[in-house]
Amino acid sequence: MHGWTGQMLRVDLTTRTWRRETFTEEWALTWIGGRGFAVKILYDELRPGIDPLGPDNKLVVAVGPISGISAPNTGKTVVAAKSPITGGYGDGNLGTRVTEKLRKAGFDALVVEGRAESPTLLYIDDTTVEFLPADEIWGKGTYETNDWIYARYGKGAGVLNIGQAGENLVRYAVIRSMEGRAGGRPGMGAVMGSKLLKAIVVKGSQPIPQAFPAEMKTLGRDDMRTVHALDQKAAWSKQGTTGVLPWCNEVAALPVNNFRQTHHPEAWRVDGERLAAATVAVYGCPNCTMQCGLAMLDTERRESELDYENMGLLGPNLGLFDITQVATLNYMCDDYGIDTISGGGVLGFYADAVERGAAPGDIRFGDFEGFRRVLTAIAQRDGEIGNTLAEGTLRAARTFGHNSEEYAMQCKGLEVSAYNCKFIPGMALAFGVSPIGAHHKESWIISYEIQQTPRESYGRDKAQKVVDLQRIRGGMFEAIVSCRFPWVEIGWGLEHYPEYFNTITGRDWELEDFWPSADRIYALIKLFWLREYPDTDRKADYPPHAWFDPTNADTEGPIAGKILEYARYDELLQHYYDIRGYDHRGIPTRETLERLGLAAEARVAEEYAPLS
Amino acid sequence: MRITVKLIGGLAHRFGAGEREQEVPPGTTAGDLLAALGISDPRTVITTRNGWGIAPEEEVAEGDRILVSPPFSGG
Ligand code: SF4
Repeated sequence: MHGWTGQMLRVDLTTRTWRRETFTEEWALTWIGGRGFAVKILYDELRPGIDPLGPDNKLVVAVGPISGISAPNTGKTVVAAKSPITGGYGDGNLGTRVTEKLRKAGFDALVVEGRAESPTLLYIDDTTVEFLPADEIWGKGTYETNDWIYARYGKGAGVLNIGQAGENLVRYAVIRSMEGRAGGRPGMGAVMGSKLLKAIVVKGSQPIPQAFPAEMKTLGRDDMRTVHALDQKAAWSKQGTTGVLPWCNEVAALPVNNFRQTHHPEAWRVDGERLAAATVAVYGCPNCTMQCGLAMLDTERRESELDYENMGLLGPNLGLFDITQVATLNYMCDDYGIDTISGGGVLGFYADAVERGAAPGDIRFGDFEGFRRVLTAIAQRDGEIGNTLAEGTLRAARTFGHNSEEYAMQCKGLEVSAYNCKFIPGMALAFGVSPIGAHHKESWIISYEIQQTPRESYGRDKAQKVVDLQRIRGGMFEAIVSCRFPWVEIGWGLEHYPEYFNTITGRDWELEDFWPSADRIYALIKLFWLREYPDTDRKADYPPHAWFDPTNADTEGPIAGKILEYARYDELLQHYYDIRGYDHRGIPTRETLERLGLAAEARVAEEYAPLS
Repeated sequence: MRITVKLIGGLAHRFGAGEREQEVPPGTTAGDLLAALGISDPRTVITTRNGWGIAPEEEVAEGDRILVSPPFSGG
């Protein structure tokens, strides 16, 4: 078969055994790769109700057909497991050399099972798998861990690792890579930690199987040059994603003080212009043509790579407007292996809960030193507050009580990314129906919504746009596994992706041919959730209550006095369900599942909950 | 009339950073402002007025704050 190696590697940490498994071309074409492979494997192999932090959970590392080839921004890998923070399906992508090396070692996916007896480093190459002791690096941060690994295996090795947060089972710990920051927001780092798996190192040297390798080489090289030139012209990578911060501030979508406010006069101090001026080094994922890892020095003069999400959530969301302080909190998150979005969300929630008298402590918005202390306590699960907050905002709110759940900024247990949707119905829907809990990566509708639609509308067009974007972003990009930024940020046409896919696989797909797989992937993720939560209903697809609370409406600025309305949001949600062929609970109907080729998976789901 | 125009993201690097106050004649549209900046196709940018979307043919008014952004569609 062309385009896939046709093999996955299965590793059992309990028995310290491994084996190669094959898959068919039909299976590959059905699930494509990355997220598609991951959800299919996890749905088929995980028993519902297992402890996500127990040995029964499995970690899937999966690439797609265009991952790792020489084409624009193809250095991404998907990491997935049952999520410790949501209890549902969880995944994320990150840039890493593992992408290319795993394929060159002969695999499109790695499935890690069981639990090691002691801290372990998993080494993989073309011919062997080794289970090596990692006691020396257990307890170390991700930077030191990575240096230790590079010193032994060379800088060309593919490395995934965790920091103390993963080891200590912080429910929003991520997996880290030095060439592409972090991935797996819904606790994939904690899943590694629960298996005592400190790091995965991959080397590989075989060619990636391609139908037309010479053509792909020329096409990829030319397109990398073109995308690079486009970026230079647009000057996008001068600020990377932080360019969007002043826009969010202007349109009242910035999270300020746990999302209580939507804009702030000091926001310019942490915007992309300030970051561009302070940048001392630029990093990027492998094969990147528009590197967006802008690093500046933090208060300790360490390099800290910032982007919009961490700037927004560790900055204004905490009442912090000193960019070097934001850089410090970001460095700490990266070193501990804490997701910066959830980390900022949890810290902001805690400050809010303290201010409202719901939680013990003396932290206040703007208290940089206080946030530093709490962040360390979270990573170490130190004391009652560290332990409570390591559980995420939803569990922490349930511990604190006093109605604090109403301002816990999360969906399905996962903290909201840095877009404050008090009065942005379509983006609120995008968060609500994101299949892993609140995440912007699935459907970033906000600029379309503000520019091209009446902002106050809850029309079907917005639900359709959410579906369209989910198909492209969460469906296609997460399955072919490639960075979406050339498309979203500098307008690199989507038509290039079927061209890469066809050159590699020898198929003849149009863009539309990806949509059935994209819909299948979303539907199977829904079934995964249904088995875990058989009593689920549409309320699971509601965004945080704070966005509907009239007492939380802005008192000045562009959206003064405006707030989302539950009844109208519910209508918008129904449009989404109707377009997708889901029932009133938000579960795909039997007819939809059959249309998507999921009849067998539907029968399995019906053992746990009825289908419509 | 006096208005404020602010360019952000890559546009700030291409056309000059920061925000500027400027005098424009009555009847000036958002599209006119963009054209004066050298942006001939309004679809290539996102334009807002006082935090709300503005179409190219809409006229600006005294005191308006116009933000022009690259056509980003998401992190
Ligand atoms: S644009 Fe940024 S996220 Fe995408 S591949 Fe490049 S460095 Fe990685």
